[in-house]
Amino acid sequence: MSSLFDLPFEEEPEPAAAPAPAPAPPPPPAPVPQPRRVLTVSELTARIRTLLEETFVEIWVAGELSNCKVWNTGHLYFTLKDRNAQIRGVMFRSALRRLRFTPKDGLRVVARARVSVYDQKGDYQLLCEHFEPEGLGALQLAFDQLKKRLSADGLFDERRKRPLPSLPRKIGVVTSLDGAAVRDIIKVLRRRHPNAHIVIRPARVQGEGAAMDIARAMAAIGKVKGVDVVIVGRGGGSIEDLWAFNEEVVARAIAGCPVPTISAVGHETDVTIADFVADVRAPTPSAAAEMVVTRKEDFCSRIDRLSQRLGAAMGGRMRRLELRIRALEARPGYAGFHGRLVMRGRHAAELTHAMRRAMLAALARRQRGYQALRLKLETFDLRRRLGQVRARLVSADGRLNAAAARSRHAADARLRGAAARLESLSPLAVLGRGYAVCWNADRTAIIRDASSVSPGERVHVTLHRGELTADVIENQESRIKN
Amino acid sequence: MSDSIKDFEAAIAELETIVKKLEEGDLPLEKSLELYERGVHLSRFCHARLEETERRIEILNERGQLKPAPANLGGDGPE
Repeated sequence: MSSLFDLPFEEEPEPAAAPAPAPAPPPPPAPVPQPRRVLTVSELTARIRTLLEETFVEIWVAGELSNCKVWNTGHLYFTLKDRNAQIRGVMFRSALRRLRFTPKDGLRVVARARVSVYDQKGDYQLLCEHFEPEGLGALQLAFDQLKKRLSADGLFDERRKRPLPSLPRKIGVVTSLDGAAVRDIIKVLRRRHPNAHIVIRPARVQGEGAAMDIARAMAAIGKVKGVDVVIVGRGGGSIEDLWAFNEEVVARAIAGCPVPTISAVGHETDVTIADFVADVRAPTPSAAAEMVVTRKEDFCSRIDRLSQRLGAAMGGRMRRLELRIRALEARPGYAGFHGRLVMRGRHAAELTHAMRRAMLAALARRQRGYQALRLKLETFDLRRRLGQVRARLVSADGRLNAAAARSRHAADARLRGAAARLESLSPLAVLGRGYAVCWNADRTAIIRDASSVSPGERVHVTLHRGELTADVIENQESRIKN
Repeated sequence: MSDSIKDFEAAIAELETIVKKLEEGDLPLEKSLELYERGVHLSRFCHARLEETERRIEILNERGQLKPAPANLGGDGPE
């Protein structure tokens, strides 16, 4: 490479090129009177230089770049060629910095240049001020190049994409305070999620230094405690206006953000490098705000549904228990039984009473627990709804009353259930302890009084398990007194 | 019954499991009530988390300080 160029420019010359050196004084006249004019190499070179530099002051040259090399002086040396010819060239570092894209071998460009001569080497070359890539615009080329580079670094990998938080505590926003984006975002968040806690880190989003500003803002907001999602973007504009979001420093800052990011740059049709790097791309700033709160709304309804199912499942369980008890109670033979037994004897009555108290207490304990929990579930739901939609106060009020009525109704039903359960369970238990029921011969009546049966008559006796058929032998009316 | 709730996601997942168990199972009454109680607890936790964020807009300035946003942005700060 150094044989190709020997670095003619260590320092960039001032824009006003140094004047050509004055022609050297003519040599002393030769003794031979031949009219010939001998030039020194320097003279000739100076003339060539003048000729070239005055003729090719600002030209446009199309060709393909090759042998591109940036030396440690920061200047770019290269060869511009086409099929049949080539010419060496240089672009000084100040011009090189202004290029959006990186000149590369094989790239076809149109160069704005002047021709200059390098006296010491007898070379002429192009001093290039600017390159325009042929075909694509310079911006498009820069975009493609950065995209390729970041993609190679894995910044666009699907595996890197993080899901948005289900329930953001604080929503970070990086954008300009003067633009439409910040207002759009706030408007949507306020409407959809009145409680949103928003933290805005202002940043210039266009013009000189915007990219660095955005990158710094991303780094700063990622560190704020509680911020667990960041929206970065701006409203619509020309491709130049949006350019900061195509800069590498912004892309890297987004990739390095410790919490999930949403890019929201310009309109639906604007696609920037930031969009590829962010965890989620939103078509507009408003849409980004929607994405953040939609997740929250999903969760609201999911929890509401779960709470309802929880209540329904437990309520159903209690109702089924109640039905089973009622079914027992309704079985022929047991209906009304308990009361009659109580009438028959003090002992039985006392036992029944104690049992009844114990069962009542046990059941009431469960009922109280259930009711207290149920109330918690319902009041919480209602409070939330009421707080959320003050405009719907009237309808909410209606719901509140309905819920209260429902809950009272349910409580009544449960109380009746509890009583029924006691009634129906006690005769079974009493039979189990050895009491029996005596029916008349054709089982149409229960025998309560010894006088209603005569010796020789047939009776049926129901025991805890099974039944006996018996003939009356003796009748002692007065043995048990009420 | 452990009272600890790891986070919102875990709470929802546990609530889902409990609801399914209650809906399917013929669990003993005591066990049902126990699950129900845990479910109510989880449901309240989730609702509380949904509501807990504060309505606030702040600006993070160059020095890393959080200030209320100006009123014209819907914040509590000066215009």
